[in-house]
Amino acid sequence: MTKKLSLTPYLFLTPALLIIAVFVLYPILAVFYYSFTEYDIVTAPRWVGLANYQHLLQDPTFWLALRHSLIYLIVTPTLIILSILLAIAVNRNLPGIQVFRALYYLPAVSGSIAVGITWRWLFDTQGGLLNGMLIWLGVLKEPVQWLSEPAFTLPIAMLLTIWMGVGYYMVIFLAGLQNIPEELYDAAMIDGCNDWQKHWYVSLPGLRPQITFVAVISSLAALKVFDEIYVLTLRSGGILDSGVTMVFMLWKEAFRLSHAGYASAIALVLLAITLVFSVMNIRLQERDAGA
Amino acid sequence: MRTKLFALLVVASILLAACASAATQAPTSQPPAAPVKETVVVKQTEIVQQTQIVEKVVEVTPTPGPNPEAVIDGVEPNAELTMWTFWLSPTFDDYIKSTIARFEQAYPGVTVKWEDHQATFLDDYRNAFAAGNAPDVANLSDTEGWVREFAQKGLLFNLSDNLPQSVIDQYYPGLFNLQLVDGKSYQVPWYQAVAVELINKQLYEEKAGLKADEFPTNFDAFPELCQTIKAKTGTLCDLRIAYTDILRDMAYQGGVDVYDPATKKFTFDSPEGVAWLQMYVDMAKAGTIDRNALLQEDRVGLDLFTSGRAAFYQTGPQLIREVRSNNPGMYGYLAVQPAPVGKSGALSPTSMAMSIKADTKYPKAAMALAVFMTNPQSQLEFSKIVGIYPSTPASYEDSFFTQVPVAIEDQARPIAKDIISKQADIVPEYPSPADVNEIVKKAVESALYNNVPAQKALSDAVTEANTLISQ
Repeated sequence: MTKKLSLTPYLFLTPALLIIAVFVLYPILAVFYYSFTEYDIVTAPRWVGLANYQHLLQDPTFWLALRHSLIYLIVTPTLIILSILLAIAVNRNLPGIQVFRALYYLPAVSGSIAVGITWRWLFDTQGGLLNGMLIWLGVLKEPVQWLSEPAFTLPIAMLLTIWMGVGYYMVIFLAGLQNIPEELYDAAMIDGCNDWQKHWYVSLPGLRPQITFVAVISSLAALKVFDEIYVLTLRSGGILDSGVTMVFMLWKEAFRLSHAGYASAIALVLLAITLVFSVMNIRLQERDAGA
Repeated sequence: MRTKLFALLVVASILLAACASAATQAPTSQPPAAPVKETVVVKQTEIVQQTQIVEKVVEVTPTPGPNPEAVIDGVEPNAELTMWTFWLSPTFDDYIKSTIARFEQAYPGVTVKWEDHQATFLDDYRNAFAAGNAPDVANLSDTEGWVREFAQKGLLFNLSDNLPQSVIDQYYPGLFNLQLVDGKSYQVPWYQAVAVELINKQLYEEKAGLKADEFPTNFDAFPELCQTIKAKTGTLCDLRIAYTDILRDMAYQGGVDVYDPATKKFTFDSPEGVAWLQMYVDMAKAGTIDRNALLQEDRVGLDLFTSGRAAFYQTGPQLIREVRSNNPGMYGYLAVQPAPVGKSGALSPTSMAMSIKADTKYPKAAMALAVFMTNPQSQLEFSKIVGIYPSTPASYEDSFFTQVPVAIEDQARPIAKDIISKQADIVPEYPSPADVNEIVKKAVESALYNNVPAQKALSDAVTEANTLISQ
């Protein structure tokens, strides 16, 4: 017996597939092509073979940006630890706890540009809150020029990322905590565990799927960080490129310096790195599912 | 059957509605010259040789008389132009729309579609070229180097060779000849800003004990001045280097010959170049300048000044209204002095321009529009609604520019003509300006923030820049 091929499902799929083809597939293929060209956006691309990739290997800014992107991954474990601690803190039935949950989540729903501008004010040299407080407390005698010190650019951006992300990941861990059966905590208590041990032996193993998930998505987000750097450094990337990450370099090369071909090569290298993280994600999730 | 009948009725009603809307379409804001009904007496001869007088109604469209603002001949009939401006809407919608309406009256049949682009202007403009739909006329910034960027790629229309000399002569020569590429101009200058020094007298006079009317007239005085201000007021000097075009600042402030067109080599590591950079390095080490504002957008410096944390700030007088709205208390303490002149002795123009894309379908009409928007009359009217200054000497003959102003933001008006007439582009054309600026910026940052000696930083940058342009 032969199955009759029905076109109906394909007709339903066509609009979505067309959109994906135009807005996802075509740009990916175009970037792949442009990475082998010298292209300034306004005039026709010129084929240069592997020249962009060769230049990439010799470009100290690329290696600096890659290093910064990898350093930025420090936000991932920090976010996980802080989010879990916050989730545990708000996972109790106290009066007004909903208010705290909402407050912690607030940065996650605030626009990154608005938050970045606010942080610029916090770290401002002459009128910033941080300098004002430190001088008032007697820690500093003169204001520190936080945002023009190359050593501070990346740490301030990472702090901002953590501050914005911690509430969002807290909600994920909170959902995970509320799925852990109460009996497990009762059993741990009977076994003589104190509060800290209960969380170590019950909460953390119970949160393993969420930890894996958060580790992967936050590390991918860290590799792709752009908004924080863009706003905090006012589109400059920081003094001596102190805040330049892979995506920022890509943007700068494409849209500030009109090197769209070179930027395409950077995009493909970034794609390769994020693919590695995605594969790790799949492997970890498979391992969790099998455990 | 009933369904078909219903569908037929729907289609018929849609068609009727469409016809009705076309027939009742509202007239455009500036209708073409109205037809005039005239009675014409015609002698009609019959075979019988009798003369009969009949009345015939004919429509006559009056030919426009010579319009003094229609200075471009041979404009393509019924040209449809697109024009982009940079960050003028919604504040100046009325002005732009009324100027376009005047243009369409001066050149009947030509229509203009206007769009204003803001923060994404440059990206939009590049993308429009990539997509093949760039506007015929665009408001580009000379100061940011946009005209040269696109002209060097062959995307703009050569105006030196195509505009009548009488039209070229209506602009200050120093402004028409901005951003030349191979000796040709690809822009007509539009509105200008005049750099002045805004002084917060509360800090500058009352706390620092200085006199606003004795503000330095050249850059050499800044190190000592900033030291005094820091010692007396605890605030830092709000100086800025044009981070998007550092060689321009070197040339104007330091009198540095940055590039030799004859040898096609950069030369900004000369003793003059080193002295220019060393001045900033010394001030940074002494902690008398705000390093955060030094190589950043103007916005940072303006915020510092507006919030009363800087004793002086170089800007255009049009930004005084921002001080007035953001910090009205400070407005009463403002003084305005001419901006100091650098070692070059020349004044750097801050100029907006109108350029035309090279492959426009309507080159004559596009030239007519660019020239009309920038003609003395249009610029005079623009000056009256905002503190900008025309690029056309004739505009300054109006009493608006000769009367003594009252408001502090208008203090530059009587001296603007003198300042603008002296503005000139002293930086020669050189290849890959954006890439070269990146190299120079890193050199300056290395000296300022990484203790690299100024001479070494600049010499390394010259080597790198020369290697780049020789490839």
